[in-house]
Amino acid sequence: MFTGNEEQTISATSPAGSSAGVLVDCGTSYAKVHYIDTGERVIIPSRRLLKQMELYEFVAFTGHNYIKNAKRTVNELVALAEGALALIDEPDFTVLDSGARDVKYVHVRDRRVVGMDWNTECGAFTGQIIELLTRYFEIDAAALPRDAERLPVVCGVLGMTALFDLISQGATHEAAFAMFLRGIAFNCETLVGRPEKLYLSGGLCDNPAFVKSFSCETIPLGRFVLIEGLKSLEKK
Amino acid sequence: MIVGIVGVPPLELMKSYIERGAVMVDLDEPVPEMPVRDVYLPNAYCSILKRVVSNIFSLREAKRLDLVLATVGKCKCDGMRNISSWLERTTDIPVMKVENDNTAPAGHPICTSGLPAAEKMELIVNSVFNPIPEGLELERTAPTCGFWGVPPYDFSILGLLPDNAHLYGWTRCMENKTPADIDLECHVDPGVPTLFFTQSFCQKSAFAFNLAKKHGGLFVEVDKKLTRSTKAKIEAFLEFNVYRK
Repeated sequence: MFTGNEEQTISATSPAGSSAGVLVDCGTSYAKVHYIDTGERVIIPSRRLLKQMELYEFVAFTGHNYIKNAKRTVNELVALAEGALALIDEPDFTVLDSGARDVKYVHVRDRRVVGMDWNTECGAFTGQIIELLTRYFEIDAAALPRDAERLPVVCGVLGMTALFDLISQGATHEAAFAMFLRGIAFNCETLVGRPEKLYLSGGLCDNPAFVKSFSCETIPLGRFVLIEGLKSLEKK
Repeated sequence: MIVGIVGVPPLELMKSYIERGAVMVDLDEPVPEMPVRDVYLPNAYCSILKRVVSNIFSLREAKRLDLVLATVGKCKCDGMRNISSWLERTTDIPVMKVENDNTAPAGHPICTSGLPAAEKMELIVNSVFNPIPEGLELERTAPTCGFWGVPPYDFSILGLLPDNAHLYGWTRCMENKTPADIDLECHVDPGVPTLFFTQSFCQKSAFAFNLAKKHGGLFVEVDKKLTRSTKAKIEAFLEFNVYRK
């Protein structure tokens, strides 16, 4: 999950003073960086990476924040599909990437992409709002109630309006937040067509409360699926 | 006399004004030096209708609009019917509500031609009350992909499409001069990877959303300008469904 403490825990691992060859998934909030020579992987705030571009040699790039001097730019959905194909052996599967700004998915049948979508307009920014609310309420994701009902979440902003309305009516912050997460998970399942099993990618993979908010089986793949896609494409 | 049109009014009616010397203005399209003022309708409303209403007020203030021919009914979305009623009741702007139930097809050779998609769209919106340019050769091509929907607020989306992209939906109905032809509006060629486009907050989004599901196409919703994420989503769809095949 966007735990709110990434900066303290992982940004210190970024090699200092080097101009290293990297593969980068530069998302709205966080950049996932893979050092080609060492295989080391770090997650740093995107705003920091964008201010320190001279430290990197961008061999391949994907993500929301544009890096103009990358040698290769890969569409995020293409990177997601390639990464999922590299990580999942099954012929048929659906993988959903839940990031700060938006969610996107690909359907794979017989190892070929047969469907995809990306919620780029209404419904967007839910991941970032989960992070903001987690920090604002100082919520322990592991302590959230597991039997929460679903709050209708049209988009991040309207969902937040409904959440604060619940709190104003006496719901605890934890209960309202758990309902908010259920609403987002419901939207995600609707977007992908309600499969029985869903692979998850992206920042919300690390949020156990979010992962458990789905009604289907979920298998988190972590935050480096798009990086795996870049690796896979570099080999081709 | 300056007559503004919204949607596709009956051709004979438009011709009757033109024959009397009226200057026609398409209120759906940008009017030079009259930027859209987002103050007349709620924020969560169709951008094209916001532009229509802004154009009406701006032109009226400039004394460059004498009558609005507003198509309402099934040849247009419900939004304009409600807006027309509001204008009639609360302003001095002359509004004539009209319906265009023409069923005589004029054909749609522009939609199925090999012209670039943006050029096709320009030709179609410019031919609502004008004939298409003489000498224009329109050879029918096999579609590589499709664009379904109304003419978008931001035409740049059309620049993403490859050669021989065909136009479907209400745009095709416009060219065919049958804006109320729901069957033609819902037609797409099977197997053609198609973008099902809608303006955000448009009633026609129900069609776009469900036709995209039915045909395995891509539902694309845009408010005003095309965002980078939506552009990337379309590029990925074309990558998987057109370029890699």
